[in-house]
Amino acid sequence: MAEAEIALDIQNLKKYFGGIKAVDGCSFQVPKGKISGLIGPNGSGKTTTFNLLTGVLQADSGEVFYNGENIVGLKPHQIFNKGISRTFQITRIYREMTVFENMLSASSMTMPLREARVRAAELMEFVTLTKLRGEYGGNLSYGQQKLLEFARALMTDPDLILLDEPAAGVNRTLLNNLLEHIHHLQEDQGKTVLIVEHDMNVIMNHCEKVFVLDYGVKIAEGLPESIQANEEVIEAYFGHK
Amino acid sequence: MAQKEHLRNFGMLAIFTIVLCVLPSQINLYLRSVIMFTMMYVVLSLSWNIISGYTGYVSFGHVMFYGIGAYATGILVVDYGWHWVPTLFVGVFVSFVVSQCIGYPVLRLKGPYFAIAMLGAAEGTRVVATVWESLTHGGLGIGLPNVENSFETYFAMLVVMLITIGVSYWVGHSRFGIRLNAIREDEIAAESMGINTTFYKLAAFGLSAIFPAAAGGIQAYKILYIDPETEFFILITIYMKLFALFGGKGTVIGPILGTFILYIVQEITWIEFPTAHLIAFGIFIILVARFMPRGLIGYAINRGWARKGMVH
Repeated sequence: MAEAEIALDIQNLKKYFGGIKAVDGCSFQVPKGKISGLIGPNGSGKTTTFNLLTGVLQADSGEVFYNGENIVGLKPHQIFNKGISRTFQITRIYREMTVFENMLSASSMTMPLREARVRAAELMEFVTLTKLRGEYGGNLSYGQQKLLEFARALMTDPDLILLDEPAAGVNRTLLNNLLEHIHHLQEDQGKTVLIVEHDMNVIMNHCEKVFVLDYGVKIAEGLPESIQANEEVIEAYFGHK
Repeated sequence: MAQKEHLRNFGMLAIFTIVLCVLPSQINLYLRSVIMFTMMYVVLSLSWNIISGYTGYVSFGHVMFYGIGAYATGILVVDYGWHWVPTLFVGVFVSFVVSQCIGYPVLRLKGPYFAIAMLGAAEGTRVVATVWESLTHGGLGIGLPNVENSFETYFAMLVVMLITIGVSYWVGHSRFGIRLNAIREDEIAAESMGINTTFYKLAAFGLSAIFPAAAGGIQAYKILYIDPETEFFILITIYMKLFALFGGKGTVIGPILGTFILYIVQEITWIEFPTAHLIAFGIFIILVARFMPRGLIGYAINRGWARKGMVH
């Protein structure tokens, strides 16, 4: 099987917080046009890695190549405008702005307002938030906030979507819709998706490739089945036999 | 739908403007001054609202820009013999430059740290105005030529107020304003969602700095005497904040309503209870803070009389 094209090439990424080595020389390659998963026990550096990729945190060393270009050192809005969008582990919607305003805020400067309104309306329809269009984001339930954040992340039609625990707090029906949409983005539009998730059903059933982090280092990668059988991964999650 | 709403708002503003145009010839000098100062506070509270209401950076030193405007007019009229109108543009320009120079470092601070930094910046400017005698005449202040100017200053303030309302309206109904709101709500999310927060914060700060400078200049020409203590008086910052909060920050109509009501209440309490005026005013503020913490507009939204959000 020929190696797939690489969307995101992460090389030896490091981030220390004082003595804590949150990400300690992490390297992996996210394949283009596929859904990949990033897993690991709590505190293994998944969210820190996300924050490094999106520029929210600055890496101490290492490189991240996106379409061949090193994006380490760029500001978050510059990275976003290159086509990398994200959601957050704990939702970061704008609480005292309406659902519609939350959507519009993420529209690109070059997109005319008229088009932005149409796109926002379509995405709200998709995540079933149309009825709440004029409601404050902060008044939504947690699951709805997750959906809003997901829809907001799609406003600019990004090529690479980073989802930080999209399943947490979302009910099963909605979650299945969400996953269906993620598949649709990948299969029909060729988007690349990277998911951090604790829900193993999501990871095992929907990801084509899985990366496992522990103590800020990648300890395994491969197909979901091979990860399930991997000794090191089992040890990281459950400890020594 | 949105178009209808804009048309309605524009109609209201037109009526408001016509009333304010006809009014000064019908009333005495005292009332003319009261209304002029009311319009001045509309300018100040709307300006404060751009950086503090929309963008969430609560400024405790906004009087700085007002003082800079007043001094630009005072110095240029008295020492350089300028006509007073062009001095307003100089004040606006200086104020804008100062806002960008101060804003670049200070807008990195958040919450109380930003508030304190702005307080310090305003106090620092006051000290400079006191000490730099060769430019500002120091603590002696500057006396301007004594002329009857109540009509000129009234209409100049009206024009500045209309421009401020126009710009605020644009901010309050555009994606520019939505992005400022996003910065207020969650700066990290805003930055991650493609908003160049440094640029937007500086733009908002610049906008909120230029109108107070023009108002300060007109006011200096009106009251004919300026000194550092009155032009950089912290109570002016407190008033602009209070008026905006009372009406409802982060809205266009809020600060306008808030100023017209509170400034006139303040003026009446001052006339009726000269000894207890600050106490009466204080009680009023406490009652408002207790029962309408989000101001008049927030109250209207909670009651379902007004829609949430600014773009629909």
